[in-house]
Amino acid sequence: MQSDQSSGADSKLEVADEVDEAALASVMRTVPLGAAVLAGTTVALLVLGYLLIYTLVFIPRGTIG
Amino acid sequence: MRNADRLCLAHFWVAFGAFLFACVLGAWQMWVRSPLGAKIGTPGEYFMSVTAHGVSMAYVLTTFFIMGFGYFVAVTALNRPLPGLIWAWAAFWMGILGVVLALISIGSGQASVLFTFYPPLTANVWFYVGLVLVVAASWVWCVLMLVAMREWKVDNPGRPVPLAMFATVANAVMWLWTTIGVAAELVFQVIPASLGLVQTIDVGMSRTLFSWTLHAIVYFWLIPAYIAFYTMAPRAAGGRLYSDTMGRLTFIMFLIYSLPVGMHHLLMDPEHGNGTKFIQVLLTAFVAAPTLLTIFTITASMEIAGRLRGGRGVFGWIAALPWERPMVLAIGLAFVMLGFGGFGGIVNMAYGMNAMVHNTSWVTAHFHLIFGGSVVIMYFAIAYEIWPRLTGHDHPSLAPLRIQLWLWFIGMMVMTLPWHWLGLQGQWRRVANFNYADPIIAAWGPWVVVSLVGGLVLLVSAILFVRNLVVLHRSSVQAIARPLYALAVHPPKRVPAALNGFGLWNVLVLVLMILAYGFPIAQFVIEPSPAAIVHRVR
Amino acid sequence: MSDTPHELQESRILRTELLWAFGVGIFVAASLSMIVFTALTIKINPPSNVERIDPKTLHLSGEFAEQNLGTTVFGDGTVIVRAIATQFMFVPQCIAVPANRRVTLRFASPDVLHGLLITGTNVNTMVVPGFVAQVHTEFTRTGDLLMPCHEFCGQGHSEMWATVQVLPADQFKPGPDGRVSCAQR
Repeated sequence: MQSDQSSGADSKLEVADEVDEAALASVMRTVPLGAAVLAGTTVALLVLGYLLIYTLVFIPRGTIG
Repeated sequence: MRNADRLCLAHFWVAFGAFLFACVLGAWQMWVRSPLGAKIGTPGEYFMSVTAHGVSMAYVLTTFFIMGFGYFVAVTALNRPLPGLIWAWAAFWMGILGVVLALISIGSGQASVLFTFYPPLTANVWFYVGLVLVVAASWVWCVLMLVAMREWKVDNPGRPVPLAMFATVANAVMWLWTTIGVAAELVFQVIPASLGLVQTIDVGMSRTLFSWTLHAIVYFWLIPAYIAFYTMAPRAAGGRLYSDTMGRLTFIMFLIYSLPVGMHHLLMDPEHGNGTKFIQVLLTAFVAAPTLLTIFTITASMEIAGRLRGGRGVFGWIAALPWERPMVLAIGLAFVMLGFGGFGGIVNMAYGMNAMVHNTSWVTAHFHLIFGGSVVIMYFAIAYEIWPRLTGHDHPSLAPLRIQLWLWFIGMMVMTLPWHWLGLQGQWRRVANFNYADPIIAAWGPWVVVSLVGGLVLLVSAILFVRNLVVLHRSSVQAIARPLYALAVHPPKRVPAALNGFGLWNVLVLVLMILAYGFPIAQFVIEPSPAAIVHRVR
Repeated sequence: MSDTPHELQESRILRTELLWAFGVGIFVAASLSMIVFTALTIKINPPSNVERIDPKTLHLSGEFAEQNLGTTVFGDGTVIVRAIATQFMFVPQCIAVPANRRVTLRFASPDVLHGLLITGTNVNTMVVPGFVAQVHTEFTRTGDLLMPCHEFCGQGHSEMWATVQVLPADQFKPGPDGRVSCAQR
């Protein structure tokens, strides 16, 4: 293990895992590419949806104030 | 763990019992207001049911689950017995008394004011007393969480508080701040009115005080789900948490930004002007930040797990995840619902655009999807994960767990997506029966029926959930001790004091609350609104 | 920590988080800018005219006395609608408004909390006893619309609604006193 500090819990038993440090370093060369694409696309779609509903549904219904 | 096992289980059974009861009521309500059930149910019965459903889901399921889970985390994450066990049990029984008082009041028909109270509508005083007792019980829990963390820090100087406990205490601190609003409203306004000590009530003040609580309370409900995202899901997936630091920052941001935003529930109210409304909309944009950061951090954590299992390419890691494990399945389904529910939320908070959706079925859709969906599905997953530890038995099979989670997801999507559409058509809230003879309303009928089908699927899922827990209790399979919490990619040796405690953040909360709520509340103290006459419900 | 592989270093991880935060921050800022822009240019705001009124006496005299309720066109052309929301009806139960013209709607409650929306439009407001609720809008389409009470106000809440007739200009004819009533259908 990298350090003897546990992060989620204060017990080696609670956080013991079988993750091999070399394998971890290897996947961390790619991470977070997949996350950036997936999460980024999702957020972009949400923002697009927001803009569409604002301009195409809300504004045409008339002013409010 | 032994000393608190029964304590945790007691809390969870009360929470899930109330949950199942509320699901039955919810399904009945949906039936009654659909074209299929148009002739059943009087308004009196309907609004009694809505009040019971809201109180059970929003105050009982949540508070008792969060208390039970908090006790569990305090023992397992800190690896020490729970301090003040006798106080915890006393609080539990006080909470039970409160629930009984509230439910009896509702059942008597003298408390049909919904879980949001709506003064000058005034219920039987025992309704409010009951809920005050539940809140008081939760305050005892808050103190015990703070004590547990303090005692651990004293014995472990300089070490970072384990993330699961740090987040739990952040939630406890936030809850103490949150309840001030509704406690003030009940103690100074509503209970005196209910007792007949005053004949009028300042509704501008009461709505403002309640809004203080109304948004932050949903983050009180949500944080345990996020605790599972950060500390349990990466473990269940066989990976690591991408960043422990981001976890701490997320929970700190929830603490400071959940509170000064309540007025986005009052955007259509005439007692506040554009200035305070806009400030709170701006702050609401800030409270979106921890969720947006969480989406990235947790997706990255899942990506680590997927790639460790051999997933390749930009998306290959997704299929490689161990979806057969309930916690992993739950987080996937939770994130999908979070996307849809979050979309509803950003529309709600968009200042003028709130006028398009306020008090329509869009709002009902939003909070059922985000709370009933993303959050409650994680409550299921947490229960499935920790029950073996609490009971010593394990699930004989994981298939019924997965089926139950899928049914919850499908039911929730089928129930809530039509409600978004109906809300845009103008379908409004809290209606015992619709006049389907009206052409505008008749067009809504088919979608109401679709939504009802979703609600019935949810009821089946809720029954299956309780069945799965009962089966576990009776199971002959021995629970194998296995680790519950995740390690971070970079487990911290030390963290700055600001990321290990809440002193600084409490100051910031105070500053932000004065900025956001100072004038809105002070204005009614200096010059109370023209008073409305107290209206006793019968 | 010099022996930590580069990929696992906390600093690299935090840099990716910062990059992400920056990216979504742009999106959040863009969405907020649109809100600010429409608020400043075409005056899109939640209804926020703060005006107090005594619920106990509003029906007796002044603006919300029964004879003043409904739609009135003033000499300068402004159209003002006044209605009361009470358990369990709106007074008047039918409101006539013109299409494509600025209308100001004013509501008050003598009893409990109510709220209202007009289907297909952005008219939406709470009616809080103690305050006048005022909404400015322009109705963009003609037709008959529903104006239900959308906030729980007691047992009769489900039956509380009014009708709004959005009339084209040629049918929106004020009487000599400036009042416009719903067309008989």
